[in-house]
Amino acid sequence: MRNPRRTEKIAFFFLFLATLLIVIPVGLIVVIIIQKGLPAINWQFLSDMPRQGMRSGGIFPAIVGTIYLVLGAIIFALPIGLLAAIYLSEYSKDNFLTRIIKLAIVNLAGVPSVVYGLFGLALFVVFFKFGASILSGALTLGIMILPIIITASREALESVPDSFREVSLSLGASKWQTIRHIVLPNAIPGILTGTILGLGRAAGETAPILFTVAAFYLPRLPKSIFDQVMALPYHLYVISTQVPNVDEKIRYGTALVLLALVLFMNLIAIIIRYQFRKRKKW
Amino acid sequence: MNTKIKVNNLDLWYGTFQALKNVNAAFNEKEITAIIGPSGCGKSTLLRTMNRMNDLIEGVRIEGKILVDYVNILDSKADLINLRKKVGMVFQRPNPFPLSIYENIAFGLRIHDSIKRDELDEAVKQALTQVALWDELKDKLNKSALNLSLEQRQRLCIARLVAVKPDVLLMDEPCSSLDPQATARIEELMRELKNRYTIIIVTHNMQQAARVSDDTGFMLLGELIEFAKTGDIFTKPKDKRTEDYITGRYG
Ligand SMILES: Nc1ncnc2c1ncn2[C@@H]1O[C@H](COP(=O)(O)OP(=O)(O)OP(=O)(O)O)[C@@H](O)[C@H]1O
Ligand SMILES: [Mg+2]
Repeated sequence: MRNPRRTEKIAFFFLFLATLLIVIPVGLIVVIIIQKGLPAINWQFLSDMPRQGMRSGGIFPAIVGTIYLVLGAIIFALPIGLLAAIYLSEYSKDNFLTRIIKLAIVNLAGVPSVVYGLFGLALFVVFFKFGASILSGALTLGIMILPIIITASREALESVPDSFREVSLSLGASKWQTIRHIVLPNAIPGILTGTILGLGRAAGETAPILFTVAAFYLPRLPKSIFDQVMALPYHLYVISTQVPNVDEKIRYGTALVLLALVLFMNLIAIIIRYQFRKRKKW
Repeated sequence: MNTKIKVNNLDLWYGTFQALKNVNAAFNEKEITAIIGPSGCGKSTLLRTMNRMNDLIEGVRIEGKILVDYVNILDSKADLINLRKKVGMVFQRPNPFPLSIYENIAFGLRIHDSIKRDELDEAVKQALTQVALWDELKDKLNKSALNLSLEQRQRLCIARLVAVKPDVLLMDEPCSSLDPQATARIEELMRELKNRYTIIIVTHNMQQAARVSDDTGFMLLGELIEFAKTGDIFTKPKDKRTEDYITGRYG
């Protein structure tokens, strides 16, 4: 006997179960990290150098390193990504070449980060002789997040209604004036959102910085962009697997700082997007 | 009466589809010319050709001449920026920028000149006065233009256009989203604006064409069937097809 209401209930049960299967582990991870990491967090942990072979002290240089790398990546990737997005969505003709380029960019976003790491090693560290340095690491991270920034910026630009462009041009504005004064201001929230998501990704990845910048143990701050730095994701990897007898508290504390940093960035992106949706009226 | 715009043997194709077929017309200076005809006959296409807005569409091919002040604007060397400054457009849907009322009007002024703040204030005031919005909006200049009523928005769009001091206003069904009262008031405005500007209006509404225009052109399937004094078109059309349309026998 077929009973539609029962089928409905069974379907609902399995859908709910699937959702639960995804949410529970994520929630658990967050809870465990907070529970085990929170006791380690204090001002000294955040602002002090690591001591005794990273078994005590703080993680200050790793925090600073991650911030430098993320900033460097964005300084490099945002202008280039934005210009590329403007070209692709406003200027390029819709032909075979353009479509290939767009497809390539979308696919680049899916390339494993370790591949970017190897690429950065070959290009920046070895070929350009930047060595293992902030410069190499930031450029590598920048290249990794370029596709994210280009894709988000393109979407933001393309969501600006064509009627705005039409009016602007019909008033005698040049194409560039139209983009500069009408299209870009309306696309900025979307571009920012994409940029911040890219930042979050850059902050959390280990593989791209592994060969290009990250220092195993360097209890001082960098003096130039040609210095190595410690970085949170790599530091976490090191104290979890490479150094014996590190207090669990320190490991989870480091993980918590990294997690908070990335979640904080994503939160900002969500808030910007929300504000924008609320304001948007066309 | 001076001819402001002259259209000679104009053909236009969207890809392989011919949307305008050998159109010939002369638009008089400081008069209102209406273009009427059933949906899809090419009214908007003809209008958009006069300030080269069709350039934005890929695959458009145009032959013939359009002379604005005796200069062929279809020439590949034509100065588009000055053309569009001289021949401006009001669109069907009132479409102010998502900016303040002030900034909507200032935009066109800023892109053409570097202009001082007090000159800008004065120009904004003049533009709003011309469309009879100044008294209503003078205390809300910094409010968003998106909060205005449809009629106010359309007036603002006209003000935004007249601020750049055009000679010709192309209006593509400017009243189609307005109620009858607002439509009547915009028509009144058009009659005032005609003292300064050459106006070409596309409309679905034959009464509107009869009420506001001096000349009327009737289009059908890409052809300009008849072009004459409005009174003549509506009382003694020469072509059977015009007569059928104005007596309501076409869609
Ligand atoms: N971008 C385009 N590409 C291809 N064909 C088009 C394009 N724009 C318009 N057309 C076609 O050209 C013809 C004329 O269109 P146009 O918009 O000028 O008509 P219209 O008289 O303004 O109609 P309406 O009264 O509905 O606004 C129509 O058959 C339309 O389908
Ligand atoms: Mg039309």
